[in-house]
Amino acid sequence: MNAGDHIGDDAALYALGVLDEERVRSIDAHVATCEPCARALGEAEGGVAGMVAAGPQYAMPAEIVALREPRARRPAWRPALALAVAAALVVGILPSAYFWEREATLHRAMMTDAAAMDRLASSPHRTVAFVGMEPGASAHVMYGPDGSWYVVLVRGASRALRLVWMHDGGRTPLGTAEPYGNVALLYLPKSHRMDRLALMDGERMVAEAQLAY
Amino acid sequence: MAAPSEDELANGFAAHERWAFDEAYRRYSGLLYSAAYNVLGNAEDARDCVHDALSRVWRSPHAYTRARGAVRSFLVVCVRNEAISRRRSQSRRARLNERLAAEPVVHAELGAGDPIERDRLRAALAQLPPEQRVPLELAYYRGKTHVEIASELQQPLGTIKSRIAMGLRKLGAALGGTPA
Repeated sequence: MNAGDHIGDDAALYALGVLDEERVRSIDAHVATCEPCARALGEAEGGVAGMVAAGPQYAMPAEIVALREPRARRPAWRPALALAVAAALVVGILPSAYFWEREATLHRAMMTDAAAMDRLASSPHRTVAFVGMEPGASAHVMYGPDGSWYVVLVRGASRALRLVWMHDGGRTPLGTAEPYGNVALLYLPKSHRMDRLALMDGERMVAEAQLAY
Repeated sequence: MAAPSEDELANGFAAHERWAFDEAYRRYSGLLYSAAYNVLGNAEDARDCVHDALSRVWRSPHAYTRARGAVRSFLVVCVRNEAISRRRSQSRRARLNERLAAEPVVHAELGAGDPIERDRLRAALAQLPPEQRVPLELAYYRGKTHVEIASELQQPLGTIKSRIAMGLRKLGAALGGTPA
């Protein structure tokens, strides 16, 4: 690739991951010194990142990934290990999958709680109470002043409540606050200013909150 | 102490400062893992993929420049491209993966996507003319190369490239409210 050859439409193909390795390397080298092409590539990457963010999201597994050093290659005996695991499943370990799944669910809930607490501790926020909760229960929403994140906390919750965004005569479901013990927490790292939220029990609105920005 | 702004993070990342790398990982690890999982459909492979992609970024201090824009977008594309590359090499090795490459990827979804973002994406895609939307969807959702798409749609390669580029540009503009 000559210095004068800008990447043009290949910015989109790079961001979508459809180019071969040789072309990728030549673009990497070019954008390191060409600001207009770096900007064009950044715009294309923004489009792909938006598509990824709109797709299904998954919880990171429990273990902390060591970032600095590459992982060791998988040992050659992995197929044998897989066979052993399969055999173990056949002879009766299968029921433990149920408990593993419960652990994984609990872990995801804990990770969500930790992310919410981290956000609350490190960012300025506002708090608004939900109006209409039944006696003995309360609910609050804490949110970033720019509407970039929301934490909904329900106390005295006896069952799961759905959170919805009320707007333009419609409802957009945002998630479910599942009670653990007496408290249910829902963390929404959103990017929209939502001014009216409601908690739903099935199709019945239980409480609502008006948010100001 | 307040969390660094996106601009501060981008400046630190461009200067290859460790705190910026740690902060970017803390902030985006879930999204990066999802980007990998959506391509690979396997938790262990996705975790390895995120690790290897980030390790490569850390070892390439000039890979990211401020002109590139958002660190978040840069990292998502790094991880996703690593995942696509892995899936391609797997599919060269195994017939099973050849079949996976030819079919839409189906995952056991662990968590629903952001419904607002999903609605925005759906609306933005619906706004695209079919000649831009179809090749873009074939590239993003089916992992097809521009050469394969040109052959499948029986269009010249240059036409397909420019249509994908135009479609992605419009989509990026429509999703512009996404935080950097």
